[in-house]
Amino acid sequence: MLEGAELYFNVDHGYLEGLVRGCKASLLTQQDYINLVQCETLEDLKIHLQTTDYGNFLANHTNPLTVSKIDTEMRKRLCGEFEYFRNHSLEPLSTFLTYMTNEFPAQEVCTPCSQTLVTMFLRVQVNFHPVKRCSYMIDNVILLMNGALQKKSVKEILGKCHPLGRFTEMEAVNIAETPSDLFNAILIETPLAPFFQDCMSENALDELNIELLRNKLYKSYLEAFYKFCKNHGDVTAEVMCPILEFEADRRAFIITLNSFGTELSKEDRETLYPTFGKLYPEGLRLLAQAEDFDQMKNVADHYGVYKPLFEAVGGSGGKTLEDVFYEREVQMNVLAFNRQFHYGVFYAYVKLKEQEIRNIVWIAECISQRHRTKINSYIPIL
Amino acid sequence: MAALDLRAELDSLGWLSLAKARYAMGAKSVGPLQYASHMEPQVCLHASEAQEGLQKFKVVRAGVHAPEEVGPREAGLRRRKGPTKTPEPESSEAPQDPLNWFGILVPHSLRQAQASFRDGLQLAADIASLQNRIDWGRSQLRGLQEKLKQLEPGAA
Repeated sequence: MLEGAELYFNVDHGYLEGLVRGCKASLLTQQDYINLVQCETLEDLKIHLQTTDYGNFLANHTNPLTVSKIDTEMRKRLCGEFEYFRNHSLEPLSTFLTYMTNEFPAQEVCTPCSQTLVTMFLRVQVNFHPVKRCSYMIDNVILLMNGALQKKSVKEILGKCHPLGRFTEMEAVNIAETPSDLFNAILIETPLAPFFQDCMSENALDELNIELLRNKLYKSYLEAFYKFCKNHGDVTAEVMCPILEFEADRRAFIITLNSFGTELSKEDRETLYPTFGKLYPEGLRLLAQAEDFDQMKNVADHYGVYKPLFEAVGGSGGKTLEDVFYEREVQMNVLAFNRQFHYGVFYAYVKLKEQEIRNIVWIAECISQRHRTKINSYIPIL
Repeated sequence: MAALDLRAELDSLGWLSLAKARYAMGAKSVGPLQYASHMEPQVCLHASEAQEGLQKFKVVRAGVHAPEEVGPREAGLRRRKGPTKTPEPESSEAPQDPLNWFGILVPHSLRQAQASFRDGLQLAADIASLQNRIDWGRSQLRGLQEKLKQLEPGAA
């Protein structure tokens, strides 16, 4: 990519950048959140959301309004906006947006053993051609696996499958018992084979190996995304690389925190850490040896960025580490909008919108459970 | 009193921790898609006769009373290296920890939710026993009051 993107960026991407900045301006403000927090019921919440940019998105749902319906509708809206961006984009923005979509479908449908398979297939969609078709195929696979687990008939599920994602071995999916069968049936269709060869060492489908596999594949996805941004250079790299490095470090910390008291060994844990970011390589080596939260905190104290974050954990508000990381992510994403002519604005907008969805769902949960003490633990964005 | 405790326990800690877990993991990762429609219970209710014919309820772990269990079985996760020679039968005596439906690396809030729901179960059993005692006491009182009423007109 040539230096001086200011001269050439708007030719291909100016319209979309303008659009995404307009969308960003419609994010909820602090005043909106104050109004939402004062609602007594979910119906009130719906009425308040009608005055914002969301409008009548819940109009079709009459009774009873549940938190998961609100979540589904908001997510659908976000996906619609994102699809619009992607359909109107040109290279290399479209590859960039394709990297981002790996996050989406993986959150849609998950089942006990196929959860990992979803993440496996989706998070490794790296600069390969029929990407769009892959995502529909994957949705179909998951639907079939889900049905097999819950002993539903194949015909019933086949009827619900997406037509764009049909492939010949579909009926065989629910017969496959082990991952190797599944891989042999499916891998040949999708161009994901090389990645699985690298990551697959165990054949058994038990929880420990599934978790390892899922995290390893997410790690390779992140590394590929990082390499893409770095090779792209220019303002995009300057904006995206710190964000992705933070994401890698965050994953390392969260994996470590969640692995305390489980059967995951330290060597296995170390293989799950992404190989870039501020913590790489010394911090990761120290982190792999940590056995409790205080030791983890000691590792974080070596880094000027993470020391204040860890000190904010606990405290009077009862903040968890995840909350603190979400806050930092929001800060970095808002700053991405201060520069022009780069692709980071798309990534930042989507992440901010996801945070907004999380906030609204949290407020809705607190309202529906009538438990208002923690209702203000959302993270304000603008 | 105990009913209020149960309410407080479940509301403040149980459901809210579940909501927090959804916040951290994503709303779709903690929901009915994660478990099959048929599940094995981990705990059972054990009703026993205490003194005076009262019923007492206790919560016990399932599989503790299985008479055909030969020896101690390792519950939990096992790392199977390669194909095993003899297929290990799916242990129905040691039901899987439901926390593992959501993966191994689960956030702390999900564990907290599980702990509070477990405590809630215990509390529910205690409440049921207490309720029985109260009902029994009330019926005793009513019986004695009837007797008193019968005796008084007789004396007068």
